[in-house]
Amino acid sequence: MTTIADQIRTEVQSRLAILPVGGFKVSDELPFTASGEPLYVKNKKTVYVDDDVEGRVQLYRTLDQGSVYATETTVTAYLTVDAKNQPGIIDTVITLILDAKDVITGAQIVESTVTSEIEEDYVTYSFEYNITKL
Amino acid sequence: MAVINVTAGSQAILTLGNTAVLAEPDNASGLQIPFMQDLTVNASAGVTRYKVLDSSSEKAFTTPSTNQVTLNALVDDDVFFGNAGVTDNSVATNGLFATSNNKTKIFFSVAFEGSDSTDVYLSGEGFISGLAPTASMDQAVWISPITIEVDGDFTQGTV
Repeated sequence: MTTIADQIRTEVQSRLAILPVGGFKVSDELPFTASGEPLYVKNKKTVYVDDDVEGRVQLYRTLDQGSVYATETTVTAYLTVDAKNQPGIIDTVITLILDAKDVITGAQIVESTVTSEIEEDYVTYSFEYNITKL
Repeated sequence: MAVINVTAGSQAILTLGNTAVLAEPDNASGLQIPFMQDLTVNASAGVTRYKVLDSSSEKAFTTPSTNQVTLNALVDDDVFFGNAGVTDNSVATNGLFATSNNKTKIFFSVAFEGSDSTDVYLSGEGFISGLAPTASMDQAVWISPITIEVDGDFTQGTV
């Protein structure tokens, strides 16, 4: 079964592939930690997409117990680059990664946000995709 | 003496039919409205008040009742638009919309305690009105209010 994380990973891959420069890529590995260091910190300019995190929310309760549920899925992706010498196209890359949400269809809510955190000499961008489907 | 708990999902039942018998709660051919969010029986006696010179309080007399059954329900396609496969209950065959649109009289029962033996229900006849199905991306399923404008009295019965 293709998960939402799979769809987003593939979409980010195809969107980054059209960039003429930059050397950004997408890993098929999960963003696990190796030797105490997350892979996305170790491998700069590589996007790591984590697995789906799902929750079921009751939207409507009915007198005959015919409840309607929504599935809320959160997917997180990470990208780390050099903080001092950020790639010139980083804004384009961030926009492309955020817009990868558009690959999700048939959803009630599709949102993506990004936050950044500087540590030592690198900056990590954390992308969060929130998808709600009935 | 006890409150009627409806959380089991089989207590508050609205059944429709083109005859009074079809609309009884335990009739297998009755059209039970699914996905109801709420169900209200409105048995409101009319009252006219008047003042008299020899009393410091208003006097009153009753006028005929306005009886209604109102509910909100998630729209089920078969129930709303009809199921041609049903041949023994024209309300189910035609669906709520066509029945309302054609102003066809229907019979109904509102079961308070379910459809087991000795369970109490109210029944009557009337017209389906007040359909206003609504959907939006915030509320991504169709939901409609439904009103049965009761023609005459409610009758209390038991299954």
